[in-house]
Amino acid sequence: MENSMSIILGGWLSAGLTIFLFSFLYKDNPLFKIAEHLYLGVGMGWWFIVLLYGTWIPKAYEPFMQGEYVLIIPVLLGLSLVTQFIPRISWISRYGFTFIMGYGAGLVLPLNLATDFMAQIAGTIKPFSQLASMSWGAIINSFLIAIGAVCVLAYFYFSVEHKGIVKKASNIGIYFLMIYFGASFGNTVMARFSLLYGRFDLLYDFSGASYAFATPIIIILTVGFFALKHFMDKKKNSGAAQP
Amino acid sequence: MKDKLRRFLRIDRRWIFLLLTAVMVWPIIHPFGLSGKTSQQSVRDFYDFVEKLKPGQAVILGTDYDPSTKPELHPQAVAALRHLFSKDVRVLILTFISGAPGMIEELNQTVPAEYGKEYGKDYVIMPYNPNYMAAMTQMSIDIYKAYDKDAEGNDVRGMPVMAGIKTYKDIAGVIEITGTGMLDAWVAYAGDKYGVPIIGGTTAISQLGFGPYLQNKQIRGLVGGMRGASEYETLISKPGKATSGIDALNMAHLLVILLILSSNLILLVIKEK
Repeated sequence: MENSMSIILGGWLSAGLTIFLFSFLYKDNPLFKIAEHLYLGVGMGWWFIVLLYGTWIPKAYEPFMQGEYVLIIPVLLGLSLVTQFIPRISWISRYGFTFIMGYGAGLVLPLNLATDFMAQIAGTIKPFSQLASMSWGAIINSFLIAIGAVCVLAYFYFSVEHKGIVKKASNIGIYFLMIYFGASFGNTVMARFSLLYGRFDLLYDFSGASYAFATPIIIILTVGFFALKHFMDKKKNSGAAQP
Repeated sequence: MKDKLRRFLRIDRRWIFLLLTAVMVWPIIHPFGLSGKTSQQSVRDFYDFVEKLKPGQAVILGTDYDPSTKPELHPQAVAALRHLFSKDVRVLILTFISGAPGMIEELNQTVPAEYGKEYGKDYVIMPYNPNYMAAMTQMSIDIYKAYDKDAEGNDVRGMPVMAGIKTYKDIAGVIEITGTGMLDAWVAYAGDKYGVPIIGGTTAISQLGFGPYLQNKQIRGLVGGMRGASEYETLISKPGKATSGIDALNMAHLLVILLILSSNLILLVIKEK
């Protein structure tokens, strides 16, 4: 019983917050503000709890209490970042940042150079050594990729004046970029609609008897709120207009 | 006539929001069943990879998404886990995103029971780890340096699911479901460096950015957005949330195309006059 009550309450909360956030599409209103502030507060609270119980306690506190005293070094480096909030001793945070920068750069640079730079250049060139064994479709594809890569690079190469062959290449590069942006925009629209569908689907789930008709009741109450507010604002304005 | 057309172009956008709501809610109430065809090679590659896994092999399932991308990515994770369990593959579920443990819990409550899978024997859920670079690097030397306990604080070393697993070489592949840069990280820190096959599931927005990795075989397969998820659900013959969502997505896209076409036609007519 208690479990089903908590599920129903969860449904009401979820449906209510979704409808309150969607109400901004009509106009800015206090219901939207409530949901917005709750979202920020709960998000921060969740993040804090996950970090406390997921990182601080199992990775720092517990091993330290079991005698792994060397952990004091990373803990102090981490805590040094917090001194940013105290201007008088904020210089201490440099030690933490220095470690993060050095460690991060050392780990990221070589690997990303290999993955995103060298491997991509090799991948663009490699098919041209295998043309004899490739299908016509794959050959055309390889040429398109190579031409696209060179022309887009020419568009972003500003060390020489864009005229002659460089201008022609950069102009072709613009078409490749436009195709990419078009496809990217199409995918973005699809992604946003998917998220919208997710909320509508949940609102539909919450509209049934198993959730005590949460969605229709909250929609009716929200519309009622807007109607009442509209009526009161109108009355207030007409009262202020009278001499 | 001209004024009426101009008025149409200046329509209050809230009417469009209302229309969009109507066309998306309608198929949720009465599904049309428009989906069902698989067209993307990258989704078939994803499916083929899992299909070729042998029973008992171990796979890492990275579930790095939170509620903000759940409608797109959760159906992918559900479908991938169903497919893995149907092949009797051992699964190590892990995340580097603080909002993901709730999503993993949802997976844990539904999918394993469908296949009679036992926690600790067939799959394990690792705790949230905020430092993905350190974890991915440590796992190349010793997985237990990054994960010695599961999400509940139990020692993972004695669990049957971890038997014979020490480094990446004992892992058959990494399936990463994410809308973040975590898929790039797996490619860089595990795929390219240690030769672990990487397979990805991502949001529609991020999908295009992974094209070069896919072309270059740095990623073996990719499921993109809700469309990709619905195709994958069709391949494993387990229709889920993505399949039912495709109707709504199709209707919304049709509305957008209709609005773009009608607005441009009206503009042309007004210009001609």
